[in-house]
Amino acid sequence: MTKKKTAAPKKRSRSSSHTHGQGHCLELLKQLSAYIDDELPADICREIRRHLGACPNCEVFIASLQHTVTLCRHRPAPQLTSVDRMNMRRAILDAAHAR
Amino acid sequence: MTGLTRAPRLLGAMRTPVPKTPPQRPAVKESDEFDRLYRDHVDLIYRYAHRLCGETESAKDLVQETFLNAYKGLKDFRGDAKVSTWLYTIASRACIRMRRKRKGEPEHELSLDDFVPTSEGEFRLQIPMEGLSPEEALQNKELRQALDQAIDKLPPKYRMALVLSDMEGLSAKDVGTIMGVNERAVKSRLHRARLFVRRELSARGITHHDNPQSEGVPS
Repeated sequence: MTKKKTAAPKKRSRSSSHTHGQGHCLELLKQLSAYIDDELPADICREIRRHLGACPNCEVFIASLQHTVTLCRHRPAPQLTSVDRMNMRRAILDAAHAR
Repeated sequence: MTGLTRAPRLLGAMRTPVPKTPPQRPAVKESDEFDRLYRDHVDLIYRYAHRLCGETESAKDLVQETFLNAYKGLKDFRGDAKVSTWLYTIASRACIRMRRKRKGEPEHELSLDDFVPTSEGEFRLQIPMEGLSPEEALQNKELRQALDQAIDKLPPKYRMALVLSDMEGLSAKDVGTIMGVNERAVKSRLHRARLFVRRELSARGITHHDNPQSEGVPS
């Protein structure tokens, strides 16, 4: 059983419902990774949290960026089989000795 | 990480004089050192290669190219950096060379202005994550594919910063050493890469699976 959630159509106009001041939001955008990674001084973090409380869109945006980072950090990676390891080692040594 | 993690152990072994050895003896010694290097790091480099290349055969090519270069450079490796950092650096350079050769793709810059949402739907991720751990969420095949495609679309230098920082878990300093840039540049590339992937995921609706466990473990 699946339920399809459709993405909103992409618009590139600036007529968004992002009611908070664009300049402030743009400044925030530049610092979001540093905020997520806890690299900002306490006073700037406080200022950002204050802004997030007043700007729901920025709050949603930062949550979506945090989710993105979490997904990247947990992205699965396949593993080599022992046969692959052995075959590649042989190929590397063959190539090294052929030169 | 086991055994061979520090270069001095490598070098120490290689510098030990071995008098009265037959001519083929140094080659055997070198091969032993290489075997230890390969055994201890091949899984790490394959994982990195797969994350960079996005598919198995290219990842294997990259691993072979990396260890071939490492084999040739082993005797000159001074141990200023960790062995893993040295191998990441070799792999990163080899990856850039291989991509240029295959695709001839030029690097292009990502601008922050491109990531400013302009409509209501662009602020959030429309993916099923609520109440799920990241591992459970990523059992959704459609989500995994969307994430893989977003990362694959990143220009190489941004993808490399994202993979090394967020997936391999390296510090900005180590990533800078590997990529040959300063920490500020690493953080800037990482931020833009994250915003790019976020935008790609946001633009894509993901089918919600009521039972993510039924999707199975990714290969």
